[in-house]
Amino acid sequence: MVLKIYGFPFSTATRLVVFVCKEKQIPYELITIDLFKGEHKQPAYTKFHPFGQVPYIDDDGFILFESRPIVRYLLKKHASQGTQGLLPTDPQAEARAEQALSIEASSFDPNVSGIVAELYFKPQRGLSTDEANLARLKETLNEKLDAYEVILGKQKFLGGDSITVGDLAHAPYGTLLETVGQGEFFTSRPNVARWWKEVTSRPAWEAVKAECVL
Amino acid sequence: MVLKLHGVSFSTCTRTVAVVAKELNVPYELVNVDFAKGEHKSPAFTAVQPFGQVPYIDDDGFKLFESRAIARYLAKKYAGQGTKLIPTDPKEEAIFEQGVSIESSNFYPSAIGFGIEKVFKPMRGLTPDEARAEEHLKTLASKLDAYDVLLGKQKYVGGNEITLADLFHLSYGQLLVQAGQADLFESRPNVARWWKEISTRPSWLAVKDAA
Repeated sequence: MVLKIYGFPFSTATRLVVFVCKEKQIPYELITIDLFKGEHKQPAYTKFHPFGQVPYIDDDGFILFESRPIVRYLLKKHASQGTQGLLPTDPQAEARAEQALSIEASSFDPNVSGIVAELYFKPQRGLSTDEANLARLKETLNEKLDAYEVILGKQKFLGGDSITVGDLAHAPYGTLLETVGQGEFFTSRPNVARWWKEVTSRPAWEAVKAECVL
Repeated sequence: MVLKLHGVSFSTCTRTVAVVAKELNVPYELVNVDFAKGEHKSPAFTAVQPFGQVPYIDDDGFKLFESRAIARYLAKKYAGQGTKLIPTDPKEEAIFEQGVSIESSNFYPSAIGFGIEKVFKPMRGLTPDEARAEEHLKTLASKLDAYDVLLGKQKYVGGNEITLADLFHLSYGQLLVQAGQADLFESRPNVARWWKEISTRPSWLAVKDAA
């Protein structure tokens, strides 16, 4: 049975799963959950995902949610096909890839998602931007990306000299950051700019952007 | 060479690594980082940890930061001793990963957010943002409702055995208890059962006040 992804085409977490499927040449079926209609909070959905978030996968009856575990599971299951090395097996290389994934989850995602929420999602829902919060988030993101600039001056990617899933994980929210006019976070830092261009010009990511639309 | 844990004994993330080391019976040496003197922002420190945060480990020359990545590395390196903290069966491992991600995306942000307002700010003589604290509490309450459903179907957050996914909740959970919010756990039967189990483990009792 083909892998089923229950998600939303513009959801960053859904896009990460699709991105990895494309990198690994894993066929999938994306079933749209209508977030605007609150479908993700309905019992039929929360039965599988108690936190009412997108996405979750159904892999021939095996249900899994949270995008980072999903992509880890798919990377391990389909290790031999598609792009290699996204989750290394050598203990130290693996530890560095995990470090990169953790950096993304703790230093990038919360600040970027917060900025996007203030600039885009809140106004969309008729709420006003909290300027103080926005300023704080931007300051924090700047600090974090200054550290990225140092790391990426010493190595090609966040986990070492080869691309890993920790780099790919930045693509969905980073792209959204650019969409809301905040691309300067990347472009103003030469090493970060170089890295960002490499990650987002991958054919698999271009395919995600083209395909994951309503 | 004994594992060196560069951190601060009462730091949440340092204690996370410490509890994992204890569960695995891995000896370590806590190398104190002097926060008061700004040591974590010094060139010598940021050369290893560019974000200027604690902890990092030095495992016979191999350096690693991000507490959850350190925990994984130790759990895999010492898989043959102490408590098994990461399952090896592919599907059990995936459910474990799901649990780790639940903690970092659904528990940690509001727990640390609340902790910053109601524990860290007062400690530093700053005024808490009560509105923000209230919002974090509301989010936590709704997330823990989902935890109660999950923990009604499986014994632990990462499956039916204790794993790193549970241990990752300890430092931040304790912060909530310290801030007078034990009721978040105690008012939900499955969560209460789980919290009591994990927070009374000898490994946690050994480090909960000092790594």
